[in-house]
Amino acid sequence: MKKYLHEIMSQIDGIHAVLITDRDGVPVLKAATESAPELALRPGFLTTVGMATDQAGKLGMGKSQRIACIYGKYQVIHFNRFPLMVSMIASSTANTGMLLGLEAELSSLVQDLKAAVDVI
Amino acid sequence: MGCCFSNDDDKGSQVGDPHERTTLLGNPVSNSSTRPGCDDYGSGMKYPHNQRADEQSALNRILHETATNVIDVSAMNSHLEQHEYLDRARQYNQRVAATAQKYTYPQKRPSLLLDLPATEKNLSASPIPQKDLKLLKSACENAVNALQEIKVQHQEELVVQFGIP
Repeated sequence: MKKYLHEIMSQIDGIHAVLITDRDGVPVLKAATESAPELALRPGFLTTVGMATDQAGKLGMGKSQRIACIYGKYQVIHFNRFPLMVSMIASSTANTGMLLGLEAELSSLVQDLKAAVDVI
Repeated sequence: MGCCFSNDDDKGSQVGDPHERTTLLGNPVSNSSTRPGCDDYGSGMKYPHNQRADEQSALNRILHETATNVIDVSAMNSHLEQHEYLDRARQYNQRVAATAQKYTYPQKRPSLLLDLPATEKNLSASPIPQKDLKLLKSACENAVNALQEIKVQHQEELVVQFGIP
């Protein structure tokens, strides 16, 4: 599974890390390169995003599906797949549209991991 | 300048007679005791129990819905203990390892476009010579002409009459 994640990462330039975590930021599956910022891989950061996703769903526009945060050097894309959260950390110059398009490729993998997490 | 003021009680009007200070709606505190059902509540449990339970459940439901819909940014400080984090990470690793054995990679969609490993090298290579290109074109033209000239040569009858008297 990690090998599959690395294959997906090799498709798009600029991807530094792909993480699949639970709502508390505990990583279920992680694939990262050396250039990934370590702070963005911490559970505190990922937990905050998970809660922001849940709270954003109360704004009256429906459930939040994706969150894209573009920073100066990096961009972080999150897919809300309750109870999991898929996070992709890439360079700010990476193609955001292609990153968002990876959701379909990761859906089968996330579905299998959901079954593993739901039992816990 | 002067002030017209009187602090004497109004003893002229009889009690009960309407005057300018008579409230139109009456005493709001005493009015609640005149509601139907409240007399029974005070006198002893004739108020239906199931109606109270319904009201309580409705109130709980409203409370629960409000708590769900309220945006509470201050509740974002849930902290996971280090040992709990490590335990859960270990559990996930075990389960993922068990799942990975049964996992089948999704089939890649067939695509005519394939990634080249060294695009600069391939694109900067010298093109094929014109002589080879002409040879390719003439060979293809000959093949197309040969295909178009294929004809069926009629030799014998296709339908044969059997010797049936």
